[in-house]
Amino acid sequence: MPSKKAQPQSQAQLRDQPQNSVAYQPLIGTYDEAVTTTGELREHWSFLLNNLQNLGTDSLDQRVIKTQRILRDDGATYRSYSEQELTWELDPVPLQFDSSSWQLIERGLLQRTELFNRLLIDIYSTQELIHQSVIPPEVIFAHPGFLRPCFGMHPPSEQALILHAVDMVRTADHQICVIADRSQSPSGAGFALENRTVMSRVFPNLFRDSQVKHLAMFFQSLRHKLNQLAPNGDLPNIVVLTPGSRSESYFEHAYLANYLGYSLVQGRDLTVRNGYVWTKSLSGLFRVDVILRRVDDFYCDPAELKSDSYLGVPGLLEVVRSGKVVVANPLGSGILESPVFLKYLPDISQCLLGQELQLPSVATWWSFDPLDREYMLDNIRQLIIKPVFKRLGQQSVFGGDLSDGALNSLQQEIQQYPMRYVAQTYVSPGCAPCWQNHQFVPRPTVLRTFVVAGESDYKVMPGGLTRIGHSPDLRVITSQTSSLSKDTWVLAKGPEPQVSLWSDKVGHISITEDQRQNLPSRVIENMFWLGRYAVRAEYALRLLRTVFVQLNNQYHSAVHSYQAILRAVTQVTETYPGFNATEDSLLFDNPEAELISVTIDADRPGSVMASLTEMLHCAEEVKVMLSADTQRVINDIRDNVSILENSISSDFASAPEEALDPLVTSLLALSGLVHESMMRGYGWRFMEIGRNLESAYQTMSMIRALLVPVLPENDEDIVLETVLLTLETLITYRRRYRARTDVINGLELTVLDDSNPRSLSYVLKELKEHIHKLPERHKTTFLSRERRLVLELLSNIQLAEPEQLTVEDKTTYDRSKLDQLMHESQESLNELATVLSDVYFDHTETQHQVMETSWEDEL
Amino acid sequence: MKYQVQHLTQYEYESKVSACYNRAHLLPRETPYQHVSNPRVVIYPTPSTGSRCIDYFGNRVYHFSIHEPHNVLSIQVTTEIMIKQDRNVIIDELSYGNTCGQVLEQLNGSNQTIETLYAREFLLNSPMIISSDILRSYAAECFAPEKHFITAVRDLTHKIYTEFEFDPDVTNVATPIEEVMEHRHGVCQDFAHVAIGCLRSLGYAARYISGYLETLPPPGQDKLVGADASHAWFSVYSPGEGWYEFDPTNDSVPTHQHLLTAWGRDYSDVSPLRGVIFGGGRSQTLSVSVDVERFESDCDEE
Repeated sequence: MPSKKAQPQSQAQLRDQPQNSVAYQPLIGTYDEAVTTTGELREHWSFLLNNLQNLGTDSLDQRVIKTQRILRDDGATYRSYSEQELTWELDPVPLQFDSSSWQLIERGLLQRTELFNRLLIDIYSTQELIHQSVIPPEVIFAHPGFLRPCFGMHPPSEQALILHAVDMVRTADHQICVIADRSQSPSGAGFALENRTVMSRVFPNLFRDSQVKHLAMFFQSLRHKLNQLAPNGDLPNIVVLTPGSRSESYFEHAYLANYLGYSLVQGRDLTVRNGYVWTKSLSGLFRVDVILRRVDDFYCDPAELKSDSYLGVPGLLEVVRSGKVVVANPLGSGILESPVFLKYLPDISQCLLGQELQLPSVATWWSFDPLDREYMLDNIRQLIIKPVFKRLGQQSVFGGDLSDGALNSLQQEIQQYPMRYVAQTYVSPGCAPCWQNHQFVPRPTVLRTFVVAGESDYKVMPGGLTRIGHSPDLRVITSQTSSLSKDTWVLAKGPEPQVSLWSDKVGHISITEDQRQNLPSRVIENMFWLGRYAVRAEYALRLLRTVFVQLNNQYHSAVHSYQAILRAVTQVTETYPGFNATEDSLLFDNPEAELISVTIDADRPGSVMASLTEMLHCAEEVKVMLSADTQRVINDIRDNVSILENSISSDFASAPEEALDPLVTSLLALSGLVHESMMRGYGWRFMEIGRNLESAYQTMSMIRALLVPVLPENDEDIVLETVLLTLETLITYRRRYRARTDVINGLELTVLDDSNPRSLSYVLKELKEHIHKLPERHKTTFLSRERRLVLELLSNIQLAEPEQLTVEDKTTYDRSKLDQLMHESQESLNELATVLSDVYFDHTETQHQVMETSWEDEL
Repeated sequence: MKYQVQHLTQYEYESKVSACYNRAHLLPRETPYQHVSNPRVVIYPTPSTGSRCIDYFGNRVYHFSIHEPHNVLSIQVTTEIMIKQDRNVIIDELSYGNTCGQVLEQLNGSNQTIETLYAREFLLNSPMIISSDILRSYAAECFAPEKHFITAVRDLTHKIYTEFEFDPDVTNVATPIEEVMEHRHGVCQDFAHVAIGCLRSLGYAARYISGYLETLPPPGQDKLVGADASHAWFSVYSPGEGWYEFDPTNDSVPTHQHLLTAWGRDYSDVSPLRGVIFGGGRSQTLSVSVDVERFESDCDEE
């Protein structure tokens, strides 16, 4: 249904302006993608902008909100160096190219990628460029990205470079100008795909009617190429190597791995044995044939490259050398990102291709060249100064922005280390219309285009990732400073045929049973802990919620139960000393601070916040395993966590339990989704094992804290009610036992009753089922340790007799038999967790260097 | 002159190492004046993979990995090396060839030979050697535009020999060159680094050489097995003339007693063993024994 509010307004707008006049003022003196110099709307933009305008301001704003919601649900985030996680932002106005202007770009890109490919091959083999004095040898020898151990490593092949990204802007005189090349492990293709997916959902009609070229072919080429590269025969095992969930574009790594159907692995998931690379998985080692890497090359092998790197695979280079695994892009390709090449590129093109360079690059000076250096020092205020090799924290700077002091030290730096700096002219990027603050405004745009190796030639992605400045005069746009982006539409001449990534025949895959078990052990371990932490947080939340209700409502006179309940908080969450150690009446009189701390203090292991933080971290590590819906629930939990501190503090005076409700609901939704929608693989099974193990443990803690002490009758009623409320069985209890509360009945319900999914008996049965379905490492006639343990646990619980357990011990004045059973069972659970970890998780010791070195820091 | 070299390297670890991945620069390379024959490598425990190749600098390198848990890793290398007689061309008369000024002019001039273009790699900073004013001013007095270049380098070698104290206990393989300069002591590797750093700071190309030195026992005594050492020195480039070797530790010009293993920009390019181990505990002990034995028959095979 259309929004009632939007209707009259948009109609009013339509009355004010004729249908084909769009309210958009380009920036004077700047090239504008949509408007000609004479102020006419370019033909291919007219349809788009009129359509968007005709939606009306409110409706367009609504769609922007919808866009952001989808991006957030998909977890499309970008992590800045300051560790801040930014949700990707998508402008509703795509950057458009008509087919003829795109053809020019495409042709230029194909030439450029071929050139960079030849350049890569030349650097690591014959070095004709040095021999023929096209470039000074220092261009290569002084660059830390020239990896000497990779020299001569690649057999000469037509296409060494697999992926190439090119950042370009439009200059004031309408020319395309390349500002940077990315050859290491170019990021952004996944974001481009995500942008496209979202745009086609939010603007389905507009997208369909605009006849936009599809992106799928690009990824299909990539898959073909990687299959073709596989050195060990059919059905190659291809993995995406990521630095991990703290990496700035981790979202994209997970997204691409899922889209392409590859496993997402980290360095420690892989190992080199017998001359091959393997994934360490639950059921042993699986050979890896191709690695699509998102780890910078010098981190990839501590044995031969950066020796203190933990992101790589020791011994990888030697396997690459022997041709048993292929890495894309090849190790060593990072050097192509040196901006110094831009200075020499026209000559390099003549030397390696015998052709004139089609796409011009930004004017570049290198201070190693004496004439360039002089020019740089004289004109530093008008130039962008870039480090040749970006060391951590080093940024490009615009000379004009610097204070006299900073300028001076930069000039000295350039004179002292002339090889380290280049200067580039500032190219004022062309603008395109963007939707900001309810209107179309011109904003500078930078387009990142992508080229991929096909079976025999290169293919250009018809589109790309367009990034835009938040203000009209932004000089340098990178993801580090801006996460605002646009989809990029290349318009076809006719309707586009629908292409699916999976419609190709060559890349067809049949997944074997083996491959399904092929999850890295790290993923399994994180699934297990995801389950445990989720349940741990849930129990702590439930208990706290019950405690808040019980404390605020009533019973202040019942001092024994009051203290027992508070002690239970400490005992169940194991946040000692808390209420446990002390007879401190002050603490019991004013328990609020301690209760809040147990809720929100992330530095206190056992607190709700600590468990949730750990849980979210595990979820991040196993991102590829979680469905879109699950991801959305995880996002909800993350959002709720971020506001928990505020909401609990402000709510504490009245009904603080309300602040906890959304989290309990989200956690329940999570467990429901896992139950309903997750594939029954080992990932799921380990999560269930974690959940069941933890809930048995938590229930036992609760029974020990609340039902073991013998209290006066009235107090006993209150503590039993607390247990039942927390375990959500109070209503069942009342229906079943009507009569007054009794610990024996309580134990029947919470320990023995098989129809109660929260009873120990039920939970342990589940646990036993799951453990029996795990692959056995050593087949023997004896039960394995973990099976024996879970069987013993279950039997002990099932054989328990509530009447005997509740007998009061005359020496200790509590129910010591119950305590003993629960205590021993908890010990067994701990042992079970250890055994599972020993048998199924990865226990690689820490790697060390053979020789302690200090020199790698120079890199 | 023909030698047999035995080089035994042994690592003992505090606790078991479950796996290791290594790159070894232990096999001597061929040079115009040095011929290597019968190279043998014996590693214990037996590696699960091993392969030989030639590295970027032309050195022989052996890659191996071990997956058998071990407390001790031993690598024994045995080779025969023949030093040709025509090596010691510059030993007596050092006042000829390029002057310092000519060397600098050609290293910075246009129309360079391929050899000179590639020598420029050894003019740059490298992982362990960074040019500095301290190094430049230390060496400056040895060099003058009109002075013969190799005479000047010989003087620098002598200066380092006389002003630095040989002391194996104060430095290790990771000691930075600044520290060596400050305390004026170290071992052969440090002296080679200092010399190379001085030369690069002045604008000359120099490279690091690892190898062995035959030591002769005092008169009347038998030579002790294992008394020889792995050694390090440097060579310097003079355009049109090639590379000249100098040994600052012994204040000498290497002759038939210097057996060359590998060269690179500095120690980090040619370290005897580098790599990664899993496990091994906190500490490890390294023992090295080198034995350079001259074949008595000094047969002239050439």
